[in-house]
Amino acid sequence: MMDLFFPPGASAHAAGIDRMVDWVHVLMLILFIGWGAYFIYAVARFRQGKNPKANYKGAKGSASKYAEIGVAVAEVILLVGFSIPLWADRVDEFPAESDSVVVRVVAQQFAWNIWYPGADGVFGNADPSLVDEETNPIGLDRSDEAAKDDITTINQLHLPVDKPAIIHLTSKDVIHSFNLPNMRIKQDAVPGLSIPMWFVPTKTTAEMREELKSKPRYADTADEFVYEIACAQLCGNSHYSMRGFLTVHTPEEYQAWLDEEASYLGGGEEEDFWN
Amino acid sequence: MRFGRNLFALATVSALLLSATAVAGTVTGTVKFEGNAPKLRPLKMDADPGCAKKHSTPQMPEVLALGDGNTMGNIFVYVKGVSGNFPAPSEAAVLDQKGCKYVPHVMGVMVGQTFKVLNSDGLLHNVHSLPKVNQSFNRAMPATVTEAEYTFDKEEFMFKIKCDVHPWMGAYVGVMTHPFFDVTGTDGKFEISGVPAGNYEIEAWHEKLGTKTSTVTVGDSDTQTVDFAMSVPKK
Amino acid sequence: MSDGHHEELGFWRKYVFSTDHKVIGIQYSVTGLAFLFFGFCLMMLMRWQLAYPNQPIPLIGGLFGDARAPGGIMLPDFYNELGAMHGTIMVFLGVVPLAVGGFGNLILPLQIGAADMAFPKLNMLSYWSLFLGGVTMFGSFFLEGGAAQSGWTSYAPLSNIAPSGQTAWLIGMIFLITSSLLGSVNFIVTTIQLRAQGLSFFRLPFFCWAQFVTAFLLLLAFPPLEAAGVLQLMDRLADTSFFMPDGLVISGEALDISGGGSPLLWQHLFWFLAHPEVYVLILPAMGIVAEVIANNTRKPLWGYRAMVYSVIFLGFMSFIVWAHHMFITGMGTAMATFFQTTTMIISIPSVIILTALLLSLWGGSIRFNTPMLFALAFLPMFGIGGLTGLPLGLAAPDIALHDTYYVIGHFHYVVAPGTIFALFAGVYYWYPKATGRKMSETLGKLHFWPSLIFMNGIFFPMLIQGLNGVSRRLADGGATYDFAGAVGPLNRMQSWSAWGLALAQIPFIINFFMSLRAGEKVGDNPWDATTLEWAAPSPPPHGNFTTEPVVYRGPYEYSVPGAENDFTPQTQEG
Repeated sequence: MMDLFFPPGASAHAAGIDRMVDWVHVLMLILFIGWGAYFIYAVARFRQGKNPKANYKGAKGSASKYAEIGVAVAEVILLVGFSIPLWADRVDEFPAESDSVVVRVVAQQFAWNIWYPGADGVFGNADPSLVDEETNPIGLDRSDEAAKDDITTINQLHLPVDKPAIIHLTSKDVIHSFNLPNMRIKQDAVPGLSIPMWFVPTKTTAEMREELKSKPRYADTADEFVYEIACAQLCGNSHYSMRGFLTVHTPEEYQAWLDEEASYLGGGEEEDFWN
Repeated sequence: MRFGRNLFALATVSALLLSATAVAGTVTGTVKFEGNAPKLRPLKMDADPGCAKKHSTPQMPEVLALGDGNTMGNIFVYVKGVSGNFPAPSEAAVLDQKGCKYVPHVMGVMVGQTFKVLNSDGLLHNVHSLPKVNQSFNRAMPATVTEAEYTFDKEEFMFKIKCDVHPWMGAYVGVMTHPFFDVTGTDGKFEISGVPAGNYEIEAWHEKLGTKTSTVTVGDSDTQTVDFAMSVPKK
Repeated sequence: MSDGHHEELGFWRKYVFSTDHKVIGIQYSVTGLAFLFFGFCLMMLMRWQLAYPNQPIPLIGGLFGDARAPGGIMLPDFYNELGAMHGTIMVFLGVVPLAVGGFGNLILPLQIGAADMAFPKLNMLSYWSLFLGGVTMFGSFFLEGGAAQSGWTSYAPLSNIAPSGQTAWLIGMIFLITSSLLGSVNFIVTTIQLRAQGLSFFRLPFFCWAQFVTAFLLLLAFPPLEAAGVLQLMDRLADTSFFMPDGLVISGEALDISGGGSPLLWQHLFWFLAHPEVYVLILPAMGIVAEVIANNTRKPLWGYRAMVYSVIFLGFMSFIVWAHHMFITGMGTAMATFFQTTTMIISIPSVIILTALLLSLWGGSIRFNTPMLFALAFLPMFGIGGLTGLPLGLAAPDIALHDTYYVIGHFHYVVAPGTIFALFAGVYYWYPKATGRKMSETLGKLHFWPSLIFMNGIFFPMLIQGLNGVSRRLADGGATYDFAGAVGPLNRMQSWSAWGLALAQIPFIINFFMSLRAGEKVGDNPWDATTLEWAAPSPPPHGNFTTEPVVYRGPYEYSVPGAENDFTPQTQEG
């Protein structure tokens, strides 16, 4: 029902969240239309001109009691049937790291540092004192063996399609919020904490572009469509422009992208000094 | 009318210059990099498509700007320990934000001189100065805001200015009490003129390699040459 | 009860440093209305930036100076400053002073038949503490770097590293909190101790109940925020690290602090107040609406006792729902389950109260005067506000909707066409009691109808924008993001509605001041009402009642079968 409004969903769990938002709005609409119709009727029928003498006793019967019980039951269903399981699925049912792409995201004013462990699958050490905004924004300790093949990008998250992505989210400075509207993912990045989240992207960027061409609302700009990462928590003056991008690839494209990024990694101390 | 005023101004300036050069000399020289030119990694301009669109080739960091024969740009060279009062020039020192880089990458400005920040990109930049002595500023300059002006009221040698939206963007600024400084181009050359006669230390500064100093005696209306060689510090 | 001959007070003691609850109530009301107007002006500026991002503000753009708006173009820092201060001012200096300090002071002692508040001097202190808080907040606009700009929620560490306006914000908040604490003690004691003879708790008008519960909320919820404010002040001024963890790197420079603090601690302390605060904003409004509806339907409230139990339960529950504002800070299933369950539970008493008010219309003989129009409009508007709280209070849909315009739309429906409409109803309803004159009905209707339309023109599109995922607090209204593109143009309609809403307030302002002199002179009980305040002269003299009132019946004895009039005042014997 509300698809009209949502950004097109592109993750495995998006449909569940959307269905839940739909059902809540169905309940809301029923209540509002019911109350509204009663309200208009009552105000019209019991206006002073039409009903000069009020009735001391007022409304009788127990329709309202049933309505209230109905609301309570509907809320219990939404809570127990939908919201709690959906939430548990988000925070308790993490896929195994070995079956997933594991990425760290380090937010800062006003950029998303995306950090891949590289070929060894192990994240190197990082130290705030090593931060150099121009060349090493996450303060990677390049003397650590595990860090040598680590890949970092700014604002560019790349993931393969149909494979769980686990993102460990943190922040260097203030609280940010990592929001991927199309993926129905939103998680605060809190300095001092590393918070994991996960999702399974189900449509590559290219597939999404094709799909959007058939939707009148997006058809004009479908060719330039990108999955956007938006900061959802006020983080300073340029908060409104803290925009990142997610590209969802086929597995082959993803590997090619990783290889290209890895090719920029230099060797030796001398290069590390400059980069 | 206007011509007449300009002529008068010209005459005044010439007179001042003449009186200055009468007791002043020039320091010039070249800065070279000793060592192998490293492979730099391209800037991650894809972080903002607005930046990426401004370039057709990969952009390299400006931390090492080498010319033919390893001459070295972006070196701030200045005369140390000049005393006296030197009025700030009336024209502004300009730092432009262009192609998601700071132009120039290294610059000097005098105490009290207008420091003008331009935004030629038509993108949001967030110019954030990180001085230790002077008042810092942190201004978001949305696409339509093209200019901001500041002044620094205290001497401060080399602090960083960065863009909080584009983390790779950095510029270095020295706030000087005298006009005897220059920044090398990629040809490695600098020229500091009008230096009052005397014995001085000349210092060359690089953002990563630190400083090199050399002493020089400047006589009346002569030109002294001081060359510098910078290298990666040994561990 | 009054000793008949008071010493004559000078101008200062009578009108400025007064201990009379009515003067203090009017001071609160005028302060609250003035700040509501000021906070509204801040928002109208923001609406320019949202509708026409980064375009020069026409006409007045040059007034804000180069630091805020070079060439009239609003800088994002200025936008954030306006946003933070709009929220702070509307909540703490607009609605609370008017709803609690204003109506509470003016009406509650009269409705319970008291000569004054229990602690008149404390009452005066409470107002002047608010006044100092207001001056501090207002003055902070003139500090270097401007006023606070980290949102009305002032989340750490952003607020810790913000310019000095944040320090002023914290000091201002400490004054405002102190004011509310002093006021709440006074309301509680007054309600318990000074009720007229025969006025048992279940004969109290619903408005008194609402104020009574509100006072407990203020008393118990504000101290944690006062403590939090002091801690943040220490972080800013004394280099402590209550809200600052280790390893922070700000703009590329490692911060030299001891670290070890928790940014989330601030949020817990803040929302422990700020959620009950939502009920502080809404309960007095419900109280006003109940009074006006009973009076203008000419019949008793339906389910008065259920409403009273609901409001007590609501007050209690409001202390254990706060973390539903924090679902996406990294909450586990157990915590999320607890807080979304309590949130669903708290919706039930709200539903009961709203249902009771709606059912009260049934069988009535409804008069559509201005206070009643505002009170009636409150019902569906608050209805939308309450209903849109459902998807936000459930953790799973909150993933999509948290921190979007849906949230802004939701709580503005609660407090703007909700609470503020109720406050307008109260102003029109009790104006004759405070001044002895009625406000103009024509101007009142000219105020009501456009306000209703424009309020919806502003806030309904926010719900749509929110469903589209547009984040709140974006200085360009989302123009940066492609996914927000489809709903971007709505911003213009919203902004024009906001400016239209400003025009719609002109009849009110004219009405408010003109009626002081030119309003129709009316008797003590112009609305044929039953509650005690109408037994006092209009305006009530020092000491309020000419004879000590005695109460013989419940608050809403309208259209009692067999009675002579369609209203039987509480003071009527037999």
